[in-house]
Amino acid sequence: MTNIQIPAVRPRPAAPSAVAARRTARDRGTRLLAALFLAPTVVGIVVFTVVPIAGSVVLSLFHWDVIDSPSFAGGANYREVFGDSTVLVSFRNTLVFMVLAVALQLLIALVLALTLNGRMPTWLRSVFRSAFFFPLVLSAASISVVMKYLFNQDFGVVNWLLGLVGVAPVPWLTSEHAAMATVILVYVWQQFGFSFLLFVGGLNNIPKEIHEAAALDGATGLRKHLAVTLPLLSPTLLVASVVGIINALQVFEQPYVLTAGGPGDATRTVVMVIYERAFEQLRFGEASAVGVLLFVLIMAVTALQFRLSRRFVHYQ
Amino acid sequence: MSDSHLSRRTLFRYGAYGAGAAALAGTAASWDRLTGADIPGRDDGALVVATLGSAFDPAAVRAMREGFRALHPDIDVRVNAVQAVDWSDFFAKILTQIAAGTAPDLVYVATEGVQLFARRLGVPLDHWVKRDAAELREYFADVHPSLVESMMYEGSLYQLPVEFNAADLYLNKQVLKRAGAELPPADWTRDDFTALLRQMKRAGDSHFTPYFWTNRLWGGVVPWLFANGTDLLAESKAPGGSWLWDSFYPAAQRAGRGGGFRWTTPQATDARVEEAYDYLASLVQEDLCTRPEGGNGSNLVGVFSTGRVGITPAGGFWAGGLHLAGMRPADYDVQYFPRWRTQRHQFGAAGYALLRTSKKQDAAWEFIKYAVRRDTLTRLFRANQTTPARRSMLTESRYTQTGPAHWRVFYDTLDRFPDTGPIPAPPQVAEVTEVLLKHTGTALASPRAVRPALRRMQNDLEKAMERDV
Repeated sequence: MTNIQIPAVRPRPAAPSAVAARRTARDRGTRLLAALFLAPTVVGIVVFTVVPIAGSVVLSLFHWDVIDSPSFAGGANYREVFGDSTVLVSFRNTLVFMVLAVALQLLIALVLALTLNGRMPTWLRSVFRSAFFFPLVLSAASISVVMKYLFNQDFGVVNWLLGLVGVAPVPWLTSEHAAMATVILVYVWQQFGFSFLLFVGGLNNIPKEIHEAAALDGATGLRKHLAVTLPLLSPTLLVASVVGIINALQVFEQPYVLTAGGPGDATRTVVMVIYERAFEQLRFGEASAVGVLLFVLIMAVTALQFRLSRRFVHYQ
Repeated sequence: MSDSHLSRRTLFRYGAYGAGAAALAGTAASWDRLTGADIPGRDDGALVVATLGSAFDPAAVRAMREGFRALHPDIDVRVNAVQAVDWSDFFAKILTQIAAGTAPDLVYVATEGVQLFARRLGVPLDHWVKRDAAELREYFADVHPSLVESMMYEGSLYQLPVEFNAADLYLNKQVLKRAGAELPPADWTRDDFTALLRQMKRAGDSHFTPYFWTNRLWGGVVPWLFANGTDLLAESKAPGGSWLWDSFYPAAQRAGRGGGFRWTTPQATDARVEEAYDYLASLVQEDLCTRPEGGNGSNLVGVFSTGRVGITPAGGFWAGGLHLAGMRPADYDVQYFPRWRTQRHQFGAAGYALLRTSKKQDAAWEFIKYAVRRDTLTRLFRANQTTPARRSMLTESRYTQTGPAHWRVFYDTLDRFPDTGPIPAPPQVAEVTEVLLKHTGTALASPRAVRPALRRMQNDLEKAMERDV
């Protein structure tokens, strides 16, 4: 049982009007203090997020190639973007990538977190936690360079190993379908550590008593996880999926290094198109228009997630 | 009293915050901090030369800078070595510097960017070349006119070639020996080439690839288009340029020269282009070569030097790399690309482009002249990491350490095949390259994909070329 302590009553209460005045002054002071503490973050967000977003929106209405002054284009950049098959394919690729990569990432992270949450020596649990998190601290570009060697069809270690058991060389990066699967695999391998850590934290927060009560009611194994663990873990799942989706929609390094968007446009993503349009073709207005569309897509998907979360997320 | 006590505490607290903030602000204000003038290339009076970082070694660059200072003590030079994976990446970074207001005075530009820089950013060197004609006569006599012509745009000269690389073929002699084959003759044909690949394949194991190529503008599909007497874009010559040819080259060498190359109408659906793609597709189907995305230039030295690749296109730049990878001159050799309908080769060249925004154009011209001197190039290209534009620098002694035995092929490509020309690089080169690489990947990804892919390539190239750059 928790003891509830009743605060001591002040001996001499002041007159009501004076108390209200002091509260107002104190509140004002507290608000000022809060504003002071928040100021660096707010300034940071405004300077590094709000202003660039506004800048991109404005730039998307201009033709600009860095060399000459920008000229007003109205909606021409958006018309150009909507009529460009490469851009449309890149949006499709990015959505496919997002769905598959995030689903796989969450599934692997959840299964591993549940496994580690079971009986296991503490030192071994620490080893696994570090091992699963380690790829996340590495540079995505470096990982992709190494993976490009490993998955090379003709000279890669992966095909060499498969060859030892009689499997013919797999075109990991040179076939349209295999290339996207390989990019997803590399991305998930690096990214699942973040979701994994969230799930480990979320599982630790679930009171043991609830699991014990469920066990007494006959819920064990998969049934226990589906009926008890998952609902209680749903707020963590929401956070992991929101972060995962936002990151996946901005994927760049892995397809850029592994396949350069190929074969054809099979692995070209939206951020790759933004980079190519802006920094290789000097069409900064069009690149900004694509960026604005991606921003809208991310906002829409995130809003949809929060709307759905009202039905599927359970807070204790 | 508690109320007044609280108020005092609050007062002290805010006082402390204020004092802390003032101390922080004071410290920040008095700190020796970075300003705009500290950004390399901004406002320090130096002549800023942007080079592709990995192209030359730092010691050589330092020697070049010090050599220039010895000649021109009044001109301070700063070499801004920009790290980039390829020329396209390099140009993107240079343009970012221009956008940031830190434009260099001189930029080392390869064929890929010659026309883009000439059209949008460059200054023609014509009046300086005419002024210093006597001084430059020795240089032009030593440099093949095809290289000079590739640096011209619409009648004007924008760069003096420093180096170039023609796409010849490197052959692994260990693989040739294993296949019981000899180094092919200079006049070999496409059929001889295919037969050699098959012979190599038969003698190799399942991890061996006879022909390794990389899907890029230089050394990818384009050499095969050239050999088949065609190109991705219709090629012609701009009028003009006689001011240069008449001044520096004898009649035999200036015949047919113009004011630079023009690449205009896309011709991806041309029958000969289709034929070249069909040929490469057949090599892919027969497992005689890498697929477009499979060719990864970064591990090429490793797989070639260990005998897992038999033949690959490369220029003089590769001799130094193979030497560093431990290959002895006797381990490999070089030969021309085989003849198909023609034996026209492709090359890429590079030199310094002077930017319009430069306020030190006369000083920059002095640097350009200095950079193409024989002694400067000798200091710069010590490790055979490229083919110098000056013919006189290609000597027996230069290739004793690195090989290959037939090193003369590097420069003789220009003499033996006079129609050899630069890779197609119009001002819209970024889009053209993107379209070429993308559709080449699709065309060779599966059987019967060539024609649909080339039709899409044609459409995309037409759109790209319509764009005013």
